[in-house]
Amino acid sequence: MPPLDKRIKKFLKNSIRVAPKISNKGELAELRAGLVSQYPQTRKDAIKKTIQQMTLGKDVSSLFPDVLKNIATNDVEQKKLVYLYVMNYAETHPELCILAVNTFVTDAQDPNPLIRCMSIRTMSMIRVDKILEYVEIPLRRTLQDDNPYVRKTAVICVAKLFQLNKELCIELGVLEDLVSALDDNNPMVVANATASLSEINAMDPTVISLLDLIQSHVSRFLLALNECTEWARITILGALAEYTAQDCVEAQEIIDRVTAHLQHVNPAVVLATIKVIIKNLVQIEPEAKKIVMTKLASALVSIMSTPPEMQYVALRNIRIILEKYPTLLTKEARIFYVKFNDPLYVKLEKIDILVRLVDPTNVKQCYVLMRELKEYAMEFEPEFVSRAIQGLAQLAIKCGEMTFVSKTFEILLDLLESQDALRNDCCIAVCDLLRHAVGNEVLTANACELFSTWPVNEVLLLSDSAKCNYIWLMGQYPNKFGELQDKLSCFIENFAEEEPLTQTSILITVVRLHSKLPGSILQNVLELATNQIQELDVRDMAIIYWRCLSMPNADQLIAELCSSVSPQIENTLDTFTPDVLEKLLTEISSVSSVYFKPQFDGPRNAVHHHNVVRGRHIDELKDLAKNELARKANDDVLLDFDEDEDDLVSPRSSMAAGGPQSHMDDLDNLFDFGVSSSSQNNGNGNDSIDKGVADLNLGKPEQQQSNQQQSQQSQNTINSNTQDLLDLF
Amino acid sequence: MVSAVYFCDGRGKPILSRRYRDDIPLSAIDKFAPLLLQLEEESSAIPPCLNHDGIQYLFIQHNDLYVVALTTSLTTNVAQVFAFLHKLMEVLEEYLKSVEEESVRDNFIIIYELLDEMMDYGIPQITETKMLKQYITQKSFKLMKAVKKSKAAPRPPTEVTNSVSWRAPNLLYKKNEAFLDIVESVNMLMNQQGQVLRSEIIGQVKVKSKLSGMPDLKLGINDKGIFSKYVEGDGDPVATTITEGKKKANIELEDLKFHQCVRLSKFENEKIITFIPPDGAFELMSYRLSMPVRPLIWCDVNVQVHSQSRIEIHCRARAQIKKRSIANSVEILIPVPDDADTPAFKYTHGSMKWLPQKNAILWKIRSFTGGKEYSMSAQMGLPSINGLEKPKVKRPVQIKFQVPYFTTSGIQVRYLKITEPKMLYKSYPWVRYITQSGDDYTIKLNT
Repeated sequence: MPPLDKRIKKFLKNSIRVAPKISNKGELAELRAGLVSQYPQTRKDAIKKTIQQMTLGKDVSSLFPDVLKNIATNDVEQKKLVYLYVMNYAETHPELCILAVNTFVTDAQDPNPLIRCMSIRTMSMIRVDKILEYVEIPLRRTLQDDNPYVRKTAVICVAKLFQLNKELCIELGVLEDLVSALDDNNPMVVANATASLSEINAMDPTVISLLDLIQSHVSRFLLALNECTEWARITILGALAEYTAQDCVEAQEIIDRVTAHLQHVNPAVVLATIKVIIKNLVQIEPEAKKIVMTKLASALVSIMSTPPEMQYVALRNIRIILEKYPTLLTKEARIFYVKFNDPLYVKLEKIDILVRLVDPTNVKQCYVLMRELKEYAMEFEPEFVSRAIQGLAQLAIKCGEMTFVSKTFEILLDLLESQDALRNDCCIAVCDLLRHAVGNEVLTANACELFSTWPVNEVLLLSDSAKCNYIWLMGQYPNKFGELQDKLSCFIENFAEEEPLTQTSILITVVRLHSKLPGSILQNVLELATNQIQELDVRDMAIIYWRCLSMPNADQLIAELCSSVSPQIENTLDTFTPDVLEKLLTEISSVSSVYFKPQFDGPRNAVHHHNVVRGRHIDELKDLAKNELARKANDDVLLDFDEDEDDLVSPRSSMAAGGPQSHMDDLDNLFDFGVSSSSQNNGNGNDSIDKGVADLNLGKPEQQQSNQQQSQQSQNTINSNTQDLLDLF
Repeated sequence: MVSAVYFCDGRGKPILSRRYRDDIPLSAIDKFAPLLLQLEEESSAIPPCLNHDGIQYLFIQHNDLYVVALTTSLTTNVAQVFAFLHKLMEVLEEYLKSVEEESVRDNFIIIYELLDEMMDYGIPQITETKMLKQYITQKSFKLMKAVKKSKAAPRPPTEVTNSVSWRAPNLLYKKNEAFLDIVESVNMLMNQQGQVLRSEIIGQVKVKSKLSGMPDLKLGINDKGIFSKYVEGDGDPVATTITEGKKKANIELEDLKFHQCVRLSKFENEKIITFIPPDGAFELMSYRLSMPVRPLIWCDVNVQVHSQSRIEIHCRARAQIKKRSIANSVEILIPVPDDADTPAFKYTHGSMKWLPQKNAILWKIRSFTGGKEYSMSAQMGLPSINGLEKPKVKRPVQIKFQVPYFTTSGIQVRYLKITEPKMLYKSYPWVRYITQSGDDYTIKLNT
């Protein structure tokens, strides 16, 4: 509580306030009146209210000139508000901003660094060529400013300018200034300059040679690293990760210098450090490697006590790192145990990592993990349980030891009996185990015995892959199933509605068993598959079988096909191809690493919207601005003839000057202009859209490919099925 | 890097936005809500990164808000984005007390200003609240005491770009004090038989500094890694004598994480924790310990379900801490089936409540002296018409508590030295210990 006298003063001040208040209604007329009020307090209120309307999504661009009048003030807060407003419309109404250009230039020389920054920041965002030309002097000046706060803002402005107008940016020569900012004595300026340069490099790799620049500044970066903000550290570490050390001594030195950052509280700094270390790890001596590896492991583990989003990023990256260094986290399994309040997406990733990190030769550890996964399988979230069951099978196959597999098998059968809902996942898992333990009579017998007790009509399998596996099992061990024919007929009845995997599986099984089944079934399936199915794979397969069957030595041919033994599967965990893995390791902590979609070199398909208003003279632009306003300003324009001492800004002055007729003319003209300008804009817009579409088209094949890759990876188990099926040929 | 940051309400509709670059269409955020809905239909696991039409939606949830960062490039450092969004929430919380839909709507101007200052062109800039408060001084509604405005127009303090970017110089206190809180959260999973399945301790060292000038602090704790090397390296006579007596008590901390003010390279090389603290409260370091811990509050829960009539719960709780210690605000949350009703409780201590919205009963004991044992029993009715399945209680029992003046790990502060090179004042370090339940202190029930 402030002291009493102050409170009284405040009360008095409020009660005798003469400046009218602005209501919350947000009517344009009221706001406009407020913006030109004689009371500073009212004007400020009006600006706030205007911005509020803007936030709510209302178009208040018609107030532009009135807001702009308030920019010339000593009140920094008010200035900030005006800049906020201008910045917002800089994007949608670039031509309006031309009206503010003089203020920008003056403000760029203001003694207050905050204002210098605001002006340069705003100016470099406006997509009007003419304004960009005005940028030159202020930008140059601020790049050399005494105040590092201003310099760090200015270096980023260079990247902004580059995005808006590459040619101009090169012509002005500010890129050279930017490069020399890498030698600035302030670490934050160095970091922002680095960030700015890599942005420019991403937009056009030909302009500067980023790698060379990084190379020549490695020692500068290493020095700056210890004295800047967390974000600057991330940027600098990012740059260091691009650099390849000359020899093992240098690699070791880089590692030594960055390792301390593994203990930074910001997990993004930790990940950035890990990226640098992994980049250099391949080069250093094996003994030194071990020490670094332990540090890496504990750093990765430490990210598991951060917010879930962060954990998710870390888990996805651990997945990549583990593939390169499989034993890295073997001792840390406990950290990845699921906590009951983890979000589901984290839980699923954790199971994946758990199965991956165990050492398959350490059977004891495998048992511990098996018990843990078994607990998960008895939880209640369906997707989690399903992933845990899959994990159990993956673990058993990874471990490979026979008693372990049998134990897992028992767990799966127990689960099957306890809950009907688990049938799908258990069925897939059991079949995977059987494919691994080929020839194990006990397991096979047990599994078939249980499956064959399922009543004919309610096999209750829902997922495509589960059905496929179930049918495969029938085909593999027909003698162990009772009522084989009825069971199959059930599936065949719905043949056309089933999904491709099940269809293929039915088809193959029926062919394999053709001697055991009545001929009509075979005929029926082949006909269904060739006539009613759109899926090419299924249809082609059916046609081939049909051909085989109609050959003279059909029986022998089919017998040969069917007697082939499918190979034992050794691993159900999906892996990356070597080049994808290497690429992903260089992209740690990026979005692409989370999606496992590496960005192979070549033009990046970032879409740039270059709809800068170009090739117009300043007068023309001013006209444009006026038109824009005139179109916006509705009838309430007539409210205030008397003000407007100044400028070019308002269309009202011209209207007020002319008689009613010239009004009409003016308006006509205005509309002409308006139309032409909007069509101009449209043209530009279309262009950029077309470009975007073209980019997309180019991007597509690559994307599809990677999609396919991913689906291939994720459905590895399924693929191994089809592989089995294919092996039959 | 980030193209725009949006604050969206609980349904994904944007409330406030700040665009940093114009490489994404204005309409992109409108896809966010339907995208979420669509994913929710497919699966209950929704990762925090979504991809639609080449635009990446990276989001975190905070109270009733989604905070979404949009970007187009797959090379964007996603870890940095999430770290930034969390930091943003932290900073906003200091300005607005609580960040939720309503306070965002009420304080849009200050949020705009902060967004403007904390990020430029999608690159995070200055996020240190103490520094921001010196030049971002808009009054916010919740913050009653606005920072005193100086006569001159606010300017960015020169320190923001210095190497000590977190502290303003020329601070002056009459009494120079530093408060050190060591808070240990115990996470533990037990089964009904009282066996500990896993346990870990998450520790935090929080500092509240009220010190003048640019003080340099040196912290000594009884950690094995930190200490033994310290003795070898520095050879500070005072510290060595202290250690020799209690060398066995040294413990090993894992996953040490330090606030950015700690000189990391100094720690890496010499194992000394030295720092110039920010003014006010901050978390100096955190650590994890995975040593086996005996349950501090132990519960024997017995649930008997009589299908179609009632459920009986018996619970005995024991405070397994020193006789002199007291566990405060103990809360035991026991899940019950969602169709149970008409509770009847018998208990000697604390208070009991049925929380239908959580499907659980809550037993609260305000203070629980070490060595004591209390018990309670509860009975609830079950509907007589029931499904085929036996009602199952699969959620665990959750326990919350706080034990002051005690750390589970035995970590101790050996010394906290404060030296201010120019002013050479007398200072008072205060140390406090507290152990509490972590967010995962649970007992699994057999089913």
